[in-house]
Amino acid sequence: MSFRTGAVKDNPSGRRYTKDRMETQYFLNRFHVTVPQLEQLAGTSLSQGGDFADLYFEHTVYNDLLLRDHEVSSGGFHIDYGVGIRVLKGDKTGYAYSENTEMPDMLCAARAAAQIAQANVMPDGHSYRIKGSGPCHRQDTYYHAGKMWSDSEAPAFIPILKKLESMILTRDSRAVKVIARLAWSESDIMMYNSFGELTCDFRPMGSIVVSVIFSENGQNENKTSSRSFRTGAEMITDKLLEEMAEEAVSGIDARFQAVRPKGGKMPVVMGAGASGILLHEAMGHAFEADFNRKGQSVFAGMIGKQVCNPSISIVDDGTLPGNRGACNYDDEGVPGQKTYMVRDGVLESYLHDRISARWYGVPPTGNGRRESFRFNPIPRMRATYMENGEATKDDIIASVRKGIYVDEFSNGQVKIGEGDFTFYVKSGFMIENGRLTAPVKDINIIGNGPQALADITAVADDLRVDNGTWTCGKDQNVPVSCGIPTVLVRSLTVGGE
Amino acid sequence: MDKKEKINSKKEKNLTGLISEKEKSLALFCMEAARRHGACQVRVSLSKSVLDSYSMLNGELDKVAHSADRSIFLYVFADGKYGTFSTNMLEEAELDRFTAQAVASVRMLAEDRHRRLPELSRTADDAITGREPGLYDGTYEDMSSEDRLQLAENECIFKNIAADAALQDADASCDSGSLRDRQFRVISEECEYSDSVDDNFTADSNGFRGRHTETSFAICSEITIESDGKKYSGYWWDSSPFLAGLQKGKCSETALEKALSQIGPKRHSGGTLNMVVDRSVSSRLISPVISALNAASIQQESSFLKDSLGKKVFCDGFTLVDLARTPGKPGTRFFDTEGVATHDMDIIREGTVKTWFINTYMASKMGMEPTVEGVSRPVVLPYSAGICSDGSVLQGRFGAAEMISECGSGIYVTGFNGGNCNPTTGNFSYGIEGFAFRNGKITHPIREMVITGNMTELWNNLKAAGNDARPCTRWQIPSLCFADVFFSA
Repeated sequence: MSFRTGAVKDNPSGRRYTKDRMETQYFLNRFHVTVPQLEQLAGTSLSQGGDFADLYFEHTVYNDLLLRDHEVSSGGFHIDYGVGIRVLKGDKTGYAYSENTEMPDMLCAARAAAQIAQANVMPDGHSYRIKGSGPCHRQDTYYHAGKMWSDSEAPAFIPILKKLESMILTRDSRAVKVIARLAWSESDIMMYNSFGELTCDFRPMGSIVVSVIFSENGQNENKTSSRSFRTGAEMITDKLLEEMAEEAVSGIDARFQAVRPKGGKMPVVMGAGASGILLHEAMGHAFEADFNRKGQSVFAGMIGKQVCNPSISIVDDGTLPGNRGACNYDDEGVPGQKTYMVRDGVLESYLHDRISARWYGVPPTGNGRRESFRFNPIPRMRATYMENGEATKDDIIASVRKGIYVDEFSNGQVKIGEGDFTFYVKSGFMIENGRLTAPVKDINIIGNGPQALADITAVADDLRVDNGTWTCGKDQNVPVSCGIPTVLVRSLTVGGE
Repeated sequence: MDKKEKINSKKEKNLTGLISEKEKSLALFCMEAARRHGACQVRVSLSKSVLDSYSMLNGELDKVAHSADRSIFLYVFADGKYGTFSTNMLEEAELDRFTAQAVASVRMLAEDRHRRLPELSRTADDAITGREPGLYDGTYEDMSSEDRLQLAENECIFKNIAADAALQDADASCDSGSLRDRQFRVISEECEYSDSVDDNFTADSNGFRGRHTETSFAICSEITIESDGKKYSGYWWDSSPFLAGLQKGKCSETALEKALSQIGPKRHSGGTLNMVVDRSVSSRLISPVISALNAASIQQESSFLKDSLGKKVFCDGFTLVDLARTPGKPGTRFFDTEGVATHDMDIIREGTVKTWFINTYMASKMGMEPTVEGVSRPVVLPYSAGICSDGSVLQGRFGAAEMISECGSGIYVTGFNGGNCNPTTGNFSYGIEGFAFRNGKITHPIREMVITGNMTELWNNLKAAGNDARPCTRWQIPSLCFADVFFSA
């Protein structure tokens, strides 16, 4: 058996939690179980012939506060507690969970999950010996909870929302409505598997979202700004609030003036930062190994092949400190890591959970993630971004005679098999003769993932990872982030007037 | 084990998914505890559900999942302040701590004089057993894992179509021959059978007690094929509150047809065209309208229908009603999340906005009469005058095929891919997939097209609404036909 803990250790103000959560016993106590009981549950899970089992214990407390009409007049907290039990036989999955950790109920869930092993199936051509992730005694962490959320009562955070509202209202008199929400959570996670690996993790998360309605000459427009980090309450600083207030009001003049451009195929410059959602949707999902294992992805069978310009490298990274997508361990107990999907233009790796990793005969990449104990883990992204190139943003824009520059997307969607994607552009500008001109809004950009990737002809040196409240909704919701430097896509379809 | 023993065994383990008297007592205990800790008003909502699913991949069992959930939501009103709380740790001692902490937390928030429970007279008094909406199928209690596996297995056609596909020849067009004549390779078939029971008991300190219970049986299938080096996928699903109402053995067939029909897409020129929207996706276009009628959006100035109540905003042919009380039909409910009794009512009648969704809080805040918190079972009523003045097409089934036949040329939309509607302005832009049609006949699949416009203008250009809404959906939105929709490609 190996014991592994990823928790805060270097933080004087968080000493109580720091000390507790460095100890496995804290987690065993939290979930009212002993190691022999974990062994018994794993044994029961495998009693019908399964070849691997794991248990995922979770205790999450989620809090939120909402400011509306100038007052923080609603809020609350929500407690979620339970254990999910998974049994694998080959690449088949049995899953069940219990919302309490009484042994009889957990055993009942273990027996339900064990059913999968009764199915008389064993696909050909692959080795089904699952491997442990090996001895690991991680003592570092990608989450820094300098100030535990739970050390403060909710009212301590009320002035923060009021301050943010005030910053926005004083910046722009056209702001008529401000809705701001502060949400934070702390999760104790304990994982145990049939190799005897016991892994514990403490996961903080804080998010602020502000939405502003502006009114001018009877016309209304809205803007939002958000930030989210896997950190403690120290994430909230005046600097952060200033940044968000500025973001919420900046560009509103352009928003009022913006029009839909004439549509058609044209070069598209993706602004640095939030445009990374394009990578997430149009390429990242197609790199997730479950879609490839089933042959459904447009990138299936393309490992080792050149898929884009050699100057392009795309990574999925669970090791960015404090990032919304950071993972000390994924939800299968595999250590967090940085994975190159595309390196120097060549497709190097898919994103694996344990099932796909053994199917492909490669080590898991730490992408087995889940929304909560209610869900079985599947390959999911973490922080997905493209590494810097050598061009500059100005050079890229100057190189476009007629095209469009986009800096704010929402509602992206992709068809995994076909690779076709569509993104809604909330704001951007026309590019005419190498200069940004008229503001545009409310249009779509559509294209094909592999084609768009192959059509990237320039990458700037201004990578920015966007720290908004990105949530990926592939069957289950998990927190992610995305980023990109300014890039030029030679040709995409822009839907306009 | 015979059937009776099996049922008793489930009941002993409390796996039926139905709320027990003991669990109801726990909910009421929460309410009393919150009062004891200082709340002046309380609403408690206990939800319980069980879901079983059997997923097949390429004809083999791939995943079995069993989910059983219980949670209590607590809405606390104390000292003119308000908060919401939830937990799934339902031991009595834990709940007492939970409620004490909840009330203490509420007291730390700002006062909001508009927060209160609905008057008892507005709440439902006819949802006692949970069975009143007629959505509970007792057959659910008899379902065994073998039954579920069998239903999932029966849906699979992978092995048959893989064998068939190997024998197919190339050369087929959209206009002639069977779709099955096309040359293709089956990449994967994923299908799933699931069933569930959801039970809710809601009570408040004004005396409201309500229960809603429903079962659901569902099958879905997604098939991915490859033809000429390109992949195409098709998806279909069916569900019903009753096992007998579930269409079995057709999802994979339909999913395959949908995948096959997409082979050979062509670029199509854009412009202002007629648009027929298939019933399977038409709810996407009504959703922004319903959201814009929510009082919370209107009060926050983020609705493009903010001044619409009582006004004729849309064309005569657009009538949207809420048939919340249609026992036995999906979406039926006798009370909303506040416990307020639902009614069958007009939302939009012949283009005039008749209802905003105004809950107790927003009613007080806006100085208006409350209605219900949201829509239950919206139904778009049939309309054909836009394409056939004598209404003759409404004599029988009136769906996408009839609309295409009647309105000449345009684009038949069978799917949306991304896009958005700006809630403040109503401006929208959606990626679409589907088919071009000319002279009343489908000509070819299209790709990389988007529609742009404004929701108010779109619904003013409604030419027809069908009578073909899928029985399995809560939102009864039929196929729709619009004129003058701008497509770009």
